[in-house]
Amino acid sequence: MAVRRFIASGFLGIACQMAGFMALPAHAADKAFGEYLAGECVTCHLPSGRQVGGIPAIAGMPEISFMALMESYARRERDNQVMQAVAGKFNSDELAALAAYFASLKPE
Amino acid sequence: MSPMSSLNRRALLTGLGASAGVFAIGSSAVIGQAKPRVVVIGGGAGGGTAARYIAKDSAGALNVTLVEPSRQFVTCFHSNLVVGGYKQMADISHSYEKMAAANGITMAHDMAARIDRDRKVVMLAGGQALPYDRLVVSPGIDLRYDSVPGWGREHETAMPHAWKAGPQTTLLVNRLNAVPNGGVIVMIAPPNPYRCPPGPYERVSMFAHVLKKAGKDRCKIFVIDPKENFSKQALFQEGWDRHYPGMVEWLGPKIHEGVKSVDPKTGTVVTGFETYKDAALVNVIPAQFAGEIVRSAGLANASGYCPIDPASMRSTIDANIFIVGDASIAGDMPKSAFSANSQAKVAAMTVRSELTGSRVFPARYTNTCWSLLNDDDAIKVGGQFEPRPDKITSTVPFVSQLRESADLRKQTQAENIGWYAGIVADIFT
Ligand SMILES: Cc1cc2nc3c(=O)[nH]c(=O)nc-3n(C[C@H](O)[C@H](O)[C@H](O)COP(=O)(O)OP(=O)(O)OC[C@H]3O[C@@H](n4cnc5c(N)ncnc54)[C@H](O)[C@@H]3O)c2cc1C
Repeated sequence: MAVRRFIASGFLGIACQMAGFMALPAHAADKAFGEYLAGECVTCHLPSGRQVGGIPAIAGMPEISFMALMESYARRERDNQVMQAVAGKFNSDELAALAAYFASLKPE
Repeated sequence: MSPMSSLNRRALLTGLGASAGVFAIGSSAVIGQAKPRVVVIGGGAGGGTAARYIAKDSAGALNVTLVEPSRQFVTCFHSNLVVGGYKQMADISHSYEKMAAANGITMAHDMAARIDRDRKVVMLAGGQALPYDRLVVSPGIDLRYDSVPGWGREHETAMPHAWKAGPQTTLLVNRLNAVPNGGVIVMIAPPNPYRCPPGPYERVSMFAHVLKKAGKDRCKIFVIDPKENFSKQALFQEGWDRHYPGMVEWLGPKIHEGVKSVDPKTGTVVTGFETYKDAALVNVIPAQFAGEIVRSAGLANASGYCPIDPASMRSTIDANIFIVGDASIAGDMPKSAFSANSQAKVAAMTVRSELTGSRVFPARYTNTCWSLLNDDDAIKVGGQFEPRPDKITSTVPFVSQLRESADLRKQTQAENIGWYAGIVADIFT
């Protein structure tokens, strides 16, 4: 799992892994890790689920939809420079963790 | 916590101690004490985020105090939109009350006067002493009032900087609105490194927008820049030519040969190339360095900014102190609110793990800076960053392109508006 890989990689040399994307991994997604990773998302996407301006609401999005969207940004099938850069760096464990976290949020 | 995760936790803590190699984590001063104390200095983009994330994610296990003199924080970010008439001062002013109450943060509305690093105490101007186990400092920048010949602190009304938002922003707006048709504006742009690399050029766009909209298109804006080139240069210059033909003239150092002097009484700017007399507005954006509190505490190096460990934002000079935002030397990351917010989350995660044993995750950094050229025409620059041993390093950069469709530019501005709502909620709720 992500934490173990993190230890193995010796803390500093965390490579940006451009892993091939798969469907949800077999093991349970790591929601706490997802919450940490989501720190980057919630600078723009409101965790309340409110949409302001051109930033779509993603709180409460089902995991499958979240994964599919992020994978299409990573493959550059969907346009948006910010989202392509964000999605492109996550491996499948990280994406699953993020998907689990956002799915767990209850839009207000 | 399950036995498995506490095992992980110990492994991680040991790993972190070894990699940081500076001090023992888990010493009696920290784990085992009733409630470890975290002090955060500066309630801006970096400090506000750090205080909120440390308090929110540790759910009462830590004592978090935020030291900030103002009751209302006025964001520099989107202050250019106030200059352009797109936003009001109230739209960029935020109070701390809600975030303090919701997250259990103690506010100390005072200046931090001194950091006693040996005793691990922050002394406030009002005399109060705040002991800490970990300190996060995000004081932003100070202006170098000695960097433009003839200009100083006493001249910031005659020649405003508006590089710290608040009364200076209002002053700049009033001065801009008073510029007569045919009047001259001179902007003296800052040398690197400074807060918000595209900021001066977005501001120039807003000056031209306001003047043109008021029918004052015989005005001229001169930008006297000490840099050979600047952020998103081709995009800005293309935008100025398209929206404001003949109104903006940018001059690099090879042409103007430096600012020789300014006279705030007469609105004069003398360069090696030309003298601008009777300017209706001179916007002096001087050189900058880290806020005084970190410099006087010996946390900055000769550059005037603070060296940090790229994996944690920990000061390389004091292991109990984390420095985020504009005051830090953050490698390839620009000095922006987005960067400060991102860095604060890494520092917050590290501080919590050291004081509560919470899990450690790999540092991740991100930034995007949007700039508005005119109605519905915005551009952006940004990227992803990761810690490498020598510095925080850009991995996936991106920037808007010339000749993008009007639709895309409009969508980029809509993102800019949404981002602002997101980041202020991420700091002030
Ligand atoms: C015109 C302009 C436009 C900008 N636009 C953008 C933008 O669109 N996007 C973007 O991301 N960034 C933008 N920025 C940059 C952004 O404002 C800064 O990079 C960001 O605010 C840095 O955060 P910080 O926490 O380092 O400092 P600040 O946000 O300045 O916060 C520092 C705080 O520390 C307090 N402080 C200082 N010293 C002490 C002390 N001794 N004791 C107690 N408190 C203290 C200050 O009162 C202040 O509240 C812009 C900047 C300008 C000037």
